[in-house]
Amino acid sequence: MIARKIIIVIAAALALASALTQGQRPLFDDAPRTAAKPAVVFIYPEQITIPAGKPTTVALHFRIAPGLHINSHTPGQEELIPTTFKLPPGSGVRLDGVVYPPGADFILPLDPKTKLNVYTGEFVLHARFVATPGDHLVEATLRYQACDNTACMPPKTITAAIDVVGRN
Amino acid sequence: MKRNTLVITAVLFILAAFAWSGWANWEFRTQAAERLRASAAQGELVVDAAGASQYLTPLQGKPAPPFTLEDLSGKKHSLSDYKGRALAINFWATWCAPCKVETPWLIDLRNQYAAQGFEVLAISADDIDRKNPRKLNDEKQEIARFVQKMQMTYPVLIDGDSISEPYGGLDALPTTFFLDRNGIVVAAQMGLTSKDEIERNIRKALGIVK
Repeated sequence: MIARKIIIVIAAALALASALTQGQRPLFDDAPRTAAKPAVVFIYPEQITIPAGKPTTVALHFRIAPGLHINSHTPGQEELIPTTFKLPPGSGVRLDGVVYPPGADFILPLDPKTKLNVYTGEFVLHARFVATPGDHLVEATLRYQACDNTACMPPKTITAAIDVVGRN
Repeated sequence: MKRNTLVITAVLFILAAFAWSGWANWEFRTQAAERLRASAAQGELVVDAAGASQYLTPLQGKPAPPFTLEDLSGKKHSLSDYKGRALAINFWATWCAPCKVETPWLIDLRNQYAAQGFEVLAISADDIDRKNPRKLNDEKQEIARFVQKMQMTYPVLIDGDSISEPYGGLDALPTTFFLDRNGIVVAAQMGLTSKDEIERNIRKALGIVK
């Protein structure tokens, strides 16, 4: 009898708490939708296995949002911010070099004299990793500066999390 | 005894549920208020009947938010210093290619309309690191090189990011606000438009009717 009463009380409390917290749903559901989407996202690989101590080239795929472009690694004007890829020091993986893809020439529609060198759509960097033995969760970074045909967004750095396994 | 323990547990559980739901509700309200504030301050690009894109800012028809910023020499400039003059507050950055295109237009138009009481305030949104004097000096020099290269003749202020919020977040550059002689925002534009469009807005700021 007492147990039944307790169960009823708990059930009522749960129902009440649930009703009271209906309003909080947007807190979790809306936040990602309303947050500004990054112009560039890292696609893959999420995990790679490479020989420990040996420089190994890894293809890293990124995607740029439709309608936008980012400066290539060699944007053509000294003031423009080039796309650069880095690994954090002390991550167990050293960056031995990066081969950036060539950009495409881009002319501002409102000023044919301004020629830029940019990436659009999907692009692939070939990074040479040297890993120490073991499993390393590396938070690599890509710095870029995105624009559309008429306006530019501030430079941004995104993280590309890659699980690098160095095998002996 | 056992019954008492169960009742106390149930009461504590109910109190915890209330506390948790109250906290969650407060958190939700705070975030909702922040979202509302952000959406209220941000402008948006819309396409008008003629098919041209227009930047609608919530600041339209309101006094421009006051600010005080330094120029490259360290001299402070306040918006109130320009009272009585029509202004174009032009947010730009050295890394912004479209800004580079419109700068010569602004220089020309400023020279053309200066005698009628028009001025341009160029506010750089380039990153400024005030904690590191050496870096700050390098950053200032980079902006100064750009200013010299582009032969910008009007006041160039730095640290635009510090006043970006009241001006709608400045998610994209260039962004320009046109103020009449009373400091009221009469027009705004985001992104590269055309010299004609800028001139139209300057004339609006000066109260010149075609």
